[in-house]
Amino acid sequence: MTSNQIITTKNLNLWYGEKQALFDINMGIYANKITALIGPSGCGKSTLIRCFNRMNDVIDKCRITGSIYFNGNDILQTNTDAVEIRKKIGMVFQKPNPFPKTIYENVAYGSRVQGINDKKKLDDIVEKSLKKAALWDEVKDRLYESAMGLSGGQQQRLCIARSLAIEPEIILMDEPCSALDPIATAKIEDLMTELKKTYTVIIVTHNMQQAARVSDYTAYMYLGKLIEFGDTEQIFENPKQELTENYITGRFG
Amino acid sequence: MNTKKIINPLISGKKRKRNEKAIKSVFFLTAIFGIIIIFSILFFLIRETYPLPTDIWSFLSGTIWSPTESLQFGTFSLTVGTLLVTLGAMIIAIPISIGGALFISEIASSRVRSIIKPAIELLAGIPSVVYGFFGLIILTTWIKDIFGVPTGETWLAGSIILGIMAIPTITTVAEDAIKAVPREFKEGSLAMGATKWQTIQKVIIPSALSGITAAIILGIGRAVGETMAILMVCGNAAIIPTPLWNIFSPIRTLTSTLGIETAEVPVGGPHYHALFGVAVLLLMITLIINITAVYLLGTIQKRQGATSKKKKHLFSITLLIKIKKIFTSLGLLFILLLLYLITGLLITAILVIIGGLLWFMRNKISQKNLQKIAFSTLGAAILLIIVILGIILSYIIINGAGALSWEFLTEAPKRLGREGGISTPLIGTLYLVAGAIAIALPIGVGASIYLTEYTKENTLTKIIRTGADLLNGTPSIVFGLFGFAFFVLYLKFGFSLIAGQITLAFMIIPTILRTTEEALRSVPQSLREGSYAVGATRWQTIRRVVLPPAAPGIITGAILGIGRAAGETAPIMFTAVAFSSFFPTSLLEPVNALPYHLFIISTNVPGAAAKNAAGGTALVLLLLVIGFYSIAILIRNHYQKTMKW
Repeated sequence: MTSNQIITTKNLNLWYGEKQALFDINMGIYANKITALIGPSGCGKSTLIRCFNRMNDVIDKCRITGSIYFNGNDILQTNTDAVEIRKKIGMVFQKPNPFPKTIYENVAYGSRVQGINDKKKLDDIVEKSLKKAALWDEVKDRLYESAMGLSGGQQQRLCIARSLAIEPEIILMDEPCSALDPIATAKIEDLMTELKKTYTVIIVTHNMQQAARVSDYTAYMYLGKLIEFGDTEQIFENPKQELTENYITGRFG
Repeated sequence: MNTKKIINPLISGKKRKRNEKAIKSVFFLTAIFGIIIIFSILFFLIRETYPLPTDIWSFLSGTIWSPTESLQFGTFSLTVGTLLVTLGAMIIAIPISIGGALFISEIASSRVRSIIKPAIELLAGIPSVVYGFFGLIILTTWIKDIFGVPTGETWLAGSIILGIMAIPTITTVAEDAIKAVPREFKEGSLAMGATKWQTIQKVIIPSALSGITAAIILGIGRAVGETMAILMVCGNAAIIPTPLWNIFSPIRTLTSTLGIETAEVPVGGPHYHALFGVAVLLLMITLIINITAVYLLGTIQKRQGATSKKKKHLFSITLLIKIKKIFTSLGLLFILLLLYLITGLLITAILVIIGGLLWFMRNKISQKNLQKIAFSTLGAAILLIIVILGIILSYIIINGAGALSWEFLTEAPKRLGREGGISTPLIGTLYLVAGAIAIALPIGVGASIYLTEYTKENTLTKIIRTGADLLNGTPSIVFGLFGFAFFVLYLKFGFSLIAGQITLAFMIIPTILRTTEEALRSVPQSLREGSYAVGATRWQTIRRVVLPPAAPGIITGAILGIGRAAGETAPIMFTAVAFSSFFPTSLLEPVNALPYHLFIISTNVPGAAAKNAAGGTALVLLLLVIGFYSIAILIRNHYQKTMKW
């Protein structure tokens, strides 16, 4: 365990009811880097990423054992408050999920639930976050219109702005581009590279090119197990495991 | 590992956790309220039944109900009456409703659908006392004239009215079941070159069968529990028709017995206990019916949720097919027999010949023409529903328009309603409804928030939900008797506004609970996750993200509840109302109410003036209730169009 690992998991197992979805995951996420989780559908990559901000709490019959250390504290402990974790570990979902509110209120939401209601402060937060998400120029004249009127790519960047607004340390992205067209995807990818200067990014993706393009580290998962984890270049050019190689070369999956 | 931080920053303040817990327990309390009501209803009804003036066996099987003269308390003729009226109603309602449901969900264009669906909802919204009034002045006269019988107040009249009243229930639930058939099934069949009608026959109906069955059972439950309309058109003689198929015999049901006799019974006497026995019997019958329906609907959800396990058939498939054939032919024979007994030889013969011809020609007719015939039949079912609605509405309007005037609305009734107006019943109804909704809304909404937002599916939520479903299927007259036993007598409220308000509130809680739950569920899970992901607590998420988009749905539910409460007679008949010309000055005084006023002047007050006033009252009541329903439908349709995720 090195000190620049912001998250480490230890013997992480997860069950949905009777079915085990994750088996003994041990891995470390490096700070200020982009880590990509890849693997065929149903391999558990989305399940794993949802463990990092305790989003699986919402799901029926989900049971977890093992530990996830975030800055040295185990976030799976029962006295840990999921709400506090989520303030530090933001998440962007597969499908853009803006609230049916104005663009402004969407970004301000996280601050408002933390009790910040000062208009000036909020204005500041909204502008800063939208700028960081590279959306400001497109929406600055219609901040008080409904977010539902934005395009899919804009909505997704709005969701990124929304999670940046509470100044997390880590941003989890669960297939953030799977519902977007190539142009919108390119914008989000550029954004990710920009974001890693300030944040740690973990991304789940189906798209291997995307993983190769943007990530620094890549984890390959298969049937709920972490098969290989390493430098992205190494994983794609010189995989150690046969399973990884088969997947990367397109022999299955 | 980073060990600089000594205090774990991820453990939150105790205060917020405590708040969240407190909020959750409040919602939990509202959620278990429904179950508490169900059990207290059971408890108080059974308590008041004891001591039954006769042994249970003769209570159930005795055919003579003579509670005041010979003191005989046999309920068998009442049970038979209930079953016969329901049977007749189902023969009328089932084909029309299922045809209608198929037409709406599979054939109608969206424009046609947008007309038909509100029409069916209006049919559901007409108060039962208005149905009774229509039956009393129109239907019974028609039956008397057409069939040349001495009185039109018969089993037939009851079945027709009940059949019409059951149509909306069966149609709506059946339509939901048909809509729930996955589109892939349908497309798979169409892609193989089957016609639309073949697809409906071979794929859609079989897949929706258990839902359709549940719809029918719920319709039966509704028919068994109906009081006011039946009481007004059936003649109410506690006899078993002779011969059994004599549809022109007067008949008396369990519910009408309660409706007629409870108000005048001496409290604590044998008759009183016997009446509560009748209520328990009625409740048991409806509970069994509703539990069956809930169970059936539950199996559908399960089947859609997971891939079904292979069922082991008790018999071989061929034997099953044979059994099915035998049952079908027996059923056909039974229907023929009924047809013959009711309509006579000639009509039966003609129908048999037509049916036979169709049967033999079924292979000669091209699939295209077969589809045309089938679709026209389904269309006819829908047309019939619209025509029935049109007839009822136009008669009520024509009959009542003459009596309407400003004075009619603002003056208190005089000379038993023959003169003056309806100001006191109108205001009384508004008081009752306002109180009922004020009580029911927080409980219903709270319970549904608990069910959708705070719990994962478990045994407790299943029990709560079943409790709400059973409460929903409980006959309104049973609520009336419960209110009488609990609020009026046990809590010594007497006949009072407050007793009526609470009784009505209990009755509409399930309506509000269910519509709110639907509204909350229609808010996508992804929005909740989006909110949690930025560190919102559960209550913050509910308040800021879930409730705002669900609000129109909740308001719709509340208005539907108001409409239902405004039209009900049975629950307030023994708890709140008095045929008075005064306004109540406190919650502990009785009030008059529109449905009750209509009931009394149309059944108990003779003369043309009373008939005229009854027409006016029926129209005002109808407009009031339909007004509420229309507002609810408009709100819902408006937001259905604008809501997009």
